[in-house]
Amino acid sequence: MPPLREMQATFCDALLGGPVDPAVMHVLGDGLTPEARVDIYRHHVFTTLTAALQATFPVVCRLVHERFFGYAADQYIRAHPPTGPCLFEYGSSFPAFLAGFEPCRPLQYLPDVAQLEWALNVATHADEKVPLDLAKISRLPVEDLPRLTLRLDPSVSLLTSAWPIAQIWRANQLDADANARVDLASGGVFLEVRRLGDDAVFRPLDPAPHAFRSALSRQCCLAEATGAAFESDNAFDLPQALRDLFAERLAVDYGMSSLDPTA
Amino acid sequence: MIGGDADRVGAPAAAGIGLRAPHVHEVIDTRPPTAWLEVHAENYLGGGPALRSLDQLRPSYPISLHAVGLSLGTADGPNPRHLERLAALIGRVEPVLVSEHLSWSIAGGVYFNHLLPLPYTDESLALLCRNVDQTQIALGRQILIENPSSYLRFRDSPIPEPEFLAELARRTGCGLLCDVNNIYVSAHNLGFDAMVYVDALPRASVGEIHVAGHARNDADGLTILIDDHGSRVSPDVWQLYAHALSRFGPVATLVEWDTDIPTLDTLLAEACVADGLLYGARLRTSHAAIA
Repeated sequence: MPPLREMQATFCDALLGGPVDPAVMHVLGDGLTPEARVDIYRHHVFTTLTAALQATFPVVCRLVHERFFGYAADQYIRAHPPTGPCLFEYGSSFPAFLAGFEPCRPLQYLPDVAQLEWALNVATHADEKVPLDLAKISRLPVEDLPRLTLRLDPSVSLLTSAWPIAQIWRANQLDADANARVDLASGGVFLEVRRLGDDAVFRPLDPAPHAFRSALSRQCCLAEATGAAFESDNAFDLPQALRDLFAERLAVDYGMSSLDPTA
Repeated sequence: MIGGDADRVGAPAAAGIGLRAPHVHEVIDTRPPTAWLEVHAENYLGGGPALRSLDQLRPSYPISLHAVGLSLGTADGPNPRHLERLAALIGRVEPVLVSEHLSWSIAGGVYFNHLLPLPYTDESLALLCRNVDQTQIALGRQILIENPSSYLRFRDSPIPEPEFLAELARRTGCGLLCDVNNIYVSAHNLGFDAMVYVDALPRASVGEIHVAGHARNDADGLTILIDDHGSRVSPDVWQLYAHALSRFGPVATLVEWDTDIPTLDTLLAEACVADGLLYGARLRTSHAAIA
């Protein structure tokens, strides 16, 4: 018997589709082949992880059919096995995997739908944070405001897509109208995903507030975020955007950027 | 070493149910008469509604945290970050029991999310003792270790599993979670006597029992039992459970059901069967005390 570390490394290879001989040579057949016995474990691993991906990406599964989803999941699990213990944290790179997965190429909207489902998953499991009190910001010297950074609620994701992914998502819910049709040429969306109460929800935003909040979520300072919003729409209303942000309890903390935004 | 009998508070010696997502709202709304609840710890390491549901249930039920991802048999040892997150969850939930498995699931940074088999050697025993010690220190409490369901044996695995568990408990002060269905499944798949296995476990260390259903699969003409937790507990497993109670006395017992999850009433009915057998075990214990 090799040292445990070596045995586990060979078992790991065998489970992920690598060579099985180094693992099975230490296993008794007991009426089956040793390969068949190792295969029982491999089957369980893939069944569990595929079910976890199906639970996180039910709309993607519906769009491509369960059998094809099983094939894509199998390929994904081999290439990107989990690197953490929680099944709900598995699948963050599945949207990018789908974007590069040749058989999915005709479904160009699929990676964006997957990204929406991942954002809903993140929103569901995000830590709960106390919203930032606007009074704290009001007390800051006015000249510091351009350098202000705001940490958004960890449940928030801001997504853009060239496809009508919100409509696609809704049309593929279990209670959706079976006759509903989505016009793929109807254009893209700017979405904000977050948790409200117990529910992960999303809604479309106008391009400028979306650019503003996206920049803030990347820890850009207020000056940079305002610049991004003005690039999108030169009628952007900064005071209103800030009031909305706090009314919607989106900010949970603040800081000061060391960058000089006026430089 | 942490643990030993003095530290054992434990769950009530009555039947509890494994709380799974489809039943959470119904359990919160109706507070059914079950003695305690067990959840998979790794499903509650995030925030949000899952954690809030446990907060709501804590006043009504003792909670047991059953970890499935610590990988105590991994050569690399448990992940410190995972231990931290689990310790924080324990601080919030204040569970009556915390348990893990005699298995491994991590190698080279890959997490298989499945309970993989160990050879039972002196090297494995030393490693398990080290990892269980480290875990009990990090969590500040005793944990219970569950016997796995097995589908293979290693050529070089000289220590019988119950002896391995007994020695682990003796050296680390951990308790044992006796999964009767796993013993039944492994005994069938590997050809040993389930009753002899139960009799070899150290009576004083067993702090919890699991029962569950299993499936029968055909593999090249050989029937392999799969521990899928997807059906009622089989009559043979109830019989082995009764034998376990006659050896261990009344012990907190959990009914697990994880696939093809039934109605809550069906799950509670299974727990009633366990409660009936526990009642018999309590009567025997009190008779023995009087006699």
